[in-house]
Amino acid sequence: MFNETVLKEIDEIKGRYPDFRSALLPALYVAQREFGWLSHEAMSYVARTLNLPEAMVRGTASFYSMFKHKEAGRHLIQLCTNVSCMILGAERLVDFLRTKYGMEPDNTTQDGRFSLVIMECIGACGTAPAMLVNTDFYDNLTEGKIEEILDKYK
Amino acid sequence: MITITVNGKEIQIDKPMTVLEAAKKAGIKIPTLCHHELLESYGGCRLCVVEVERMPKLQNACTLLAADGMVIRTESEVISKVRSEMLELLLINHPLDCAYCDKAGECELQDLVNKYGPTVGRYKEEKRKVPESHTDPIFARHMGRCVVCTRCVRMCDTVQGASAISMIERGGRTRMEPFSSTSFNCEYCGNCLTVCPVGAILSRLYIHSYRPWQVDKEIKTICPYCGVGCSLFVQVRDNSIKRVIPKIGQGLNNGLLCSRGRFGYEFIESQERLKSPLVKEKGKFKQSTWNEAFHFVAGRLMEIRELHGGKAIAGIASPRCTNEDNYVFQKFMRMACRTNNIDSISRIGFAAAQKYIEDLLGQGVTSNIIDGLKNSDAILVIGGDPTAVNPILGLAIRAAARNGANVIVVGNAKGLVPIIRDKTLRIIHPVFREADVLELLLTNIFKTQDVRAEKPAIDKRIKELSEKPVKMDIKEMEKLVKILLGSNSISIVAGMELVQRVDGHRSLFAIAALTYLLEARLFLLSEKPNEQGLIDMGCLPDMLPGGRPINVGDFKHKFEAAWKESIPQDKGITLMEMIGAIRNKDIKALYIMGENPVFNLPNGHYIREALESLDFLVVQDIFLTETAELADVVLPALGWAEKDGTYTNLERRVQLLKRAIDSSSGIEDWKIISEISSIMGYEMDYSSAEKIMEEIAKVSPLYRDLTYKEIGAGDCLWPYHGEPLRGELNEVPVAVDITQDYKADFYLAIEKPLFHSGTLSRRASALRKICPEPTLKISPQHAGKLKLKEGDRVNISTAQGTISVPVSIDASITDNRVLLSNNFENKGVFNLLNFSLDKVTKAPGIEGCEVKIERK
Ligand code: SF4
Ligand code: SF4
Ligand code: SF4
Ligand code: FES
Ligand code: FES
Repeated sequence: MFNETVLKEIDEIKGRYPDFRSALLPALYVAQREFGWLSHEAMSYVARTLNLPEAMVRGTASFYSMFKHKEAGRHLIQLCTNVSCMILGAERLVDFLRTKYGMEPDNTTQDGRFSLVIMECIGACGTAPAMLVNTDFYDNLTEGKIEEILDKYK
Repeated sequence: MITITVNGKEIQIDKPMTVLEAAKKAGIKIPTLCHHELLESYGGCRLCVVEVERMPKLQNACTLLAADGMVIRTESEVISKVRSEMLELLLINHPLDCAYCDKAGECELQDLVNKYGPTVGRYKEEKRKVPESHTDPIFARHMGRCVVCTRCVRMCDTVQGASAISMIERGGRTRMEPFSSTSFNCEYCGNCLTVCPVGAILSRLYIHSYRPWQVDKEIKTICPYCGVGCSLFVQVRDNSIKRVIPKIGQGLNNGLLCSRGRFGYEFIESQERLKSPLVKEKGKFKQSTWNEAFHFVAGRLMEIRELHGGKAIAGIASPRCTNEDNYVFQKFMRMACRTNNIDSISRIGFAAAQKYIEDLLGQGVTSNIIDGLKNSDAILVIGGDPTAVNPILGLAIRAAARNGANVIVVGNAKGLVPIIRDKTLRIIHPVFREADVLELLLTNIFKTQDVRAEKPAIDKRIKELSEKPVKMDIKEMEKLVKILLGSNSISIVAGMELVQRVDGHRSLFAIAALTYLLEARLFLLSEKPNEQGLIDMGCLPDMLPGGRPINVGDFKHKFEAAWKESIPQDKGITLMEMIGAIRNKDIKALYIMGENPVFNLPNGHYIREALESLDFLVVQDIFLTETAELADVVLPALGWAEKDGTYTNLERRVQLLKRAIDSSSGIEDWKIISEISSIMGYEMDYSSAEKIMEEIAKVSPLYRDLTYKEIGAGDCLWPYHGEPLRGELNEVPVAVDITQDYKADFYLAIEKPLFHSGTLSRRASALRKICPEPTLKISPQHAGKLKLKEGDRVNISTAQGTISVPVSIDASITDNRVLLSNNFENKGVFNLLNFSLDKVTKAPGIEGCEVKIERK
């Protein structure tokens, strides 16, 4: 179950809306932050905390691709391969992540360090190719730059 | 008045409705897929598109409100083309495996594609693949077939109120899943199954066993389980029940069912059914012929009657048997056996309550329409969980809550917890103190108003109560009183836990007085399908059919004239008194029709000992129950789907039960009794159940002039053409109060589970799969204290004995109560409990429920 501070945080979120249902997305976000991903257990906690049916929590959570439904690595890489990024070589970068780090899209590396998710446009077309590592944003990517960046994430 | 024109036809409507509904009223059918009559409009599939003059685009008929002057066309080339294209899109992913799908033949998608659909699709993409799921005990899910109409989810959320399933993911991958993604773990009403237009949700009870067009017959009958009396359609092939379905517009359940009604029918074809009469010789059952058995029973009963008089004989009637069975039963007891010792298991609940309250307020006070509950502003629920005992009535309470009603729950009605918006409206009281809560509520209401001065005895008693010192403090009381006084339409729903107390009559009085003061509608929960009918038929020691008191000469003489024989002079004794009289050897012979007292009464050992000491015990049943095993003669009866007759539900609606399948072994209860009666010298020669009803309609002042034709048409609602009696008590009977506070660590209370009823349900394999064994329900706090995890085995012990079961942690319990059901072989809670009689209602007040719980 959530610890006291998290429960307080969710309580505060609840206070912002006229009914608990509206607090669902932010509460799920908190759960994902706490547990790394949204397991059935995590969704159950959210349901209990907000007094909502479990099935509804799962239905909502599964609609949004930014919620994770599989256990993820310590760091989540979200790389864009949509048009601008693709033209500027994003596909090559996917190959680089594959060969250099053993990453596969929608999978987690053996050592549990990275999970890779291929994204649609993340709104950085002007400085493509671009990616997010956890919540940090990086653009104008090259193979070398990626190596340098990922060194920071152990 | 709004006038619209649909396909050139003028339609007038007098209240706001959608174009779809207006067209339907005029007999014009507009195709739909996501729309369902029992659900609110959704507007998701666009198959119902119509052309509306002066509106630029096609409109959804299911969401468009009809406005005055609209001119609408429901079929045109453009419309057909759009419908065809919508279907083509749906078919991108639909597997079209009709040849293998159970739904084929009654599939809405199939019908639509047949009418509007493209013959060839233009989309060549690979179809999505969603594996079939067969992990649930009841439902098979074929989500490849799901057309994302969301009907199932809306049904589960807004009508059933269980919210157990949802649409998950999005886009082309969207599909329905239960939370666990494997098993549904829900209320298993199957109402989602009813509304699924395609073969995405299927029942494993009949999967691949027949096609909808292969049923030999479809029979409309009534559910065998509870006192709601839902209408069922039984589909039969090769003399075997293939499935049971509800229908919209048919019966009070209007298209809905609960788990027992829908999936509980398999008991009727159980291998354990009794196959021939059994007569005990030297302690062992021997098969006998019917003729031998009839003569043997009649002979023994006559012997005892001659030797000891009719008073030495007693009969237990059955709330599972029809009105006709019960009418013939009491007539047989009175006329042939010469005794008024007639009662039933309903004494421990419904019959005791019903009779007490009608004596005070007059016949018919509890005869209220279930559907009307939906319109209440405030509902007070006490003494049981309506969503488990009478599930379809429970849905009406949930619907009322959705409409804004304040639902106040006293006690542990688990299925209502999610709908109580204001947590303070749930009152958990100390064990056995319902009467104090109710009296406190009553006197607080009374403070605010004057007596109604219509019923002096009641007014007087209320005054007395309000002068008594207050024994309980409930901090929410002021709020409750305010809510109740501020409501125009109040309903009270009372469960039978109230009756099973030594001071049960105090609660009943308070309920009756609240009903009277607040002009509320009163509903008594009824666990068995014909409890009301049993009372109306006179299966009571002091009442003749029609609720006519036996000691009023006028009534008695009328019956004697009709029955051509005198009615025994003295009142008979009630159920628990019978058990005592058997133990004292005052009663020597007991005739039981369709009941299992050894299992269904508290202190089973005591009951068993009593029955074992009888000179002669006859049991008529469909199974060799715990009680039948003790009998000298066991007579196999026909079960629910095998016979005709009528049931009277808790609203006092008389409904027809119809034979759907033939049995080769049993005989109707009334027929068995008639045969024996005739041999004993009191001739009965009914040729059919209908003939019995003809007699009832003649002699009973309540069921006057009722015919099967009228009953079959669904018109037999209280008060029929009958003559109800007004309440006539001059003095309210009162006895002791219990003031003792219980101090043990744990109390054992009776769980009434949604999935089981007992003798029948434990032989219904689907219900057995949903809920295979009893568990001890315990609150999370107390489980924590005892270091118990879900599924840990424990021994529960009382002075009566010990039972070993797994625990199940139940967050709806908030105090030191633990719950166990009375449904499973050798593990019934009644075996652990003791009782002493409520002196007024003669119902057994449960006692001895301090329990020890030890890990095994
Ligand atoms: S069976 Fe009833 S409770 Fe279960 S998912 Fe279907 S509608 Fe909901
Ligand atoms: S499972 Fe059936 S009812 Fe539910 S969304 Fe799919 S097609 Fe509609
Ligand atoms: S509510 Fe009662 S009558 Fe209706 S289906 Fe369920 S058990 Fe049968
Ligand atoms: S295409 Fe990659 S950021 Fe827009
Ligand atoms: S039936 Fe109207 S949009 Fe589906």
